[in-house]
Amino acid sequence: MPPAAIWMDGLIQSCIYMTMAFGMVLVFSILGILNWAHGQFYMFGGIVVYYAVAAAGIPFPISLLISAVAVGVLGMLVEKLIIERVNVPIYGPLYVGVATISLIFFFEGAASMLFGMQDKGLSMVYPGVLDLGVFSVSYQKIGVVIFTVIVMVAMYIVLNLTKIGLAIRAVSQEPVAANLYGISVKRISVIVMGIGCAMAAMAGSIMAPIYPVNPFMGRIPMIMSLLAIVIGGIGSLTGAIVGGLILGFLNSVIAYKISYFSEVVLFILVILILLVRPQGLFGASLK
Amino acid sequence: MLELKNIWVYYDKNPAVRDLSLTVNKGDFVTILGANGAGKSTTLNAICGVVKVKKGKGEIFFKGKKINGLRPPKIAAMGIIQVPEGRKLWPLLTVQENLKLGAYLQKDRQKMKQNMEKVLTLFPDLKDKLHAKGRMLSGGQQQMAAIARGLMADPEVLLFDEPSLGLSPLLRQHLAEIIKEISQHGTTIVLVEQNARLGLMLASYGYVIENGELKLQGKTSDLLKDENVKKAYLGV
Repeated sequence: MPPAAIWMDGLIQSCIYMTMAFGMVLVFSILGILNWAHGQFYMFGGIVVYYAVAAAGIPFPISLLISAVAVGVLGMLVEKLIIERVNVPIYGPLYVGVATISLIFFFEGAASMLFGMQDKGLSMVYPGVLDLGVFSVSYQKIGVVIFTVIVMVAMYIVLNLTKIGLAIRAVSQEPVAANLYGISVKRISVIVMGIGCAMAAMAGSIMAPIYPVNPFMGRIPMIMSLLAIVIGGIGSLTGAIVGGLILGFLNSVIAYKISYFSEVVLFILVILILLVRPQGLFGASLK
Repeated sequence: MLELKNIWVYYDKNPAVRDLSLTVNKGDFVTILGANGAGKSTTLNAICGVVKVKKGKGEIFFKGKKINGLRPPKIAAMGIIQVPEGRKLWPLLTVQENLKLGAYLQKDRQKMKQNMEKVLTLFPDLKDKLHAKGRMLSGGQQQMAAIARGLMADPEVLLFDEPSLGLSPLLRQHLAEIIKEISQHGTTIVLVEQNARLGLMLASYGYVIENGELKLQGKTSDLLKDENVKKAYLGV
């Protein structure tokens, strides 16, 4: 049995992957595309928070909000200026895929030029440790978990109880009818891309005081949340959450048991899960 | 109020609607008849902006304003609402949510509530189903919910695309009564039907389309007596 700290670390990773995967699935269910540059929005989230806190001295919670809004707006611009123009049925899915893959390198290059390639570390925002006797947890990590729960509950409320949330679900279920009743699919696409990227940014921001910030920090979380989506069943929001949870713990526990080949083992496990359930755990779309 | 002037609609290079002109006045009940693939649904979708009228080949006016080229949500906002073929309810939303979203463009909450009451008196069966998901309803209930959703939008013109498709004769009768009642309340209606008899019995004016072209038009009472219509569409 791995020590509690390993499970805690797994939970922290779960939180990132869940939030990332949720945003990706949301975008997928409306735009019908995988945003390959999702990890770079995560990276921008970390960088914005770093500069807001370290350079501008803005309190961390407000910096987090600023980062979510700024990166959300960037996501909306990307949708409006790039994705909307190439995400046309007659082109097929290849063009928009190539466009978002290109964005990975564009954003990483731009971030390297603007902010430098070296690691930046944000000091702990909430120092101190909660001692539970059997094990102890830093307040920073507790903050990550609480924040993730708040984000998920907020998303649940937005998607189920607000007019815009219902409109988003309507577009994902029957876009033609949505358009006929005045719900602009184009507008909803922009909004959802904004929400999805803001969620990635929040994940990146909340991690900034724990992990180093650099232009390439988005790659691993992106691959992991992609795996989470596939395990959970693509298109399912519940699947994204459960897949994220599973993957975070798996990753942390495997790395503890076998440090050298942890990724090999992880991916073998993922392949095994998919061999048993190719459609993922929540294969039928729940939306 | 609604005027189509010599419109052409193409799918790739094939014209689905050719040189079609059609007029609907306020309060009218108009039906468009024709066989499968004659271009009836395409005509409705051209009005709603779902398919595009070929550039430079025809225009559509609503209350004097040109609407072809506008996107569907804009056209819906002007008061042209379609009850689409195959119902197209949002399957994972409840009936209540479906109805609420029908009134997506209605900013006035009070008005929305009034409309909801009105709609539920017209469709009392839906009252028990408000919290059921759209996909759990039977075909007949789905059609009623789809019409109710259309009414929630408070339309000036209501377009029906094959509402009787897949309904039993009894339900079809019920549907006819409902549509008649909506028309009597003053809503302008355009009804597309394969079931020519139903369309002609309900509407006051009819257009017959063949191969995307207008073949015949006139008062429905005259069309019912027309030999060609009888032979081709009524099976007499």
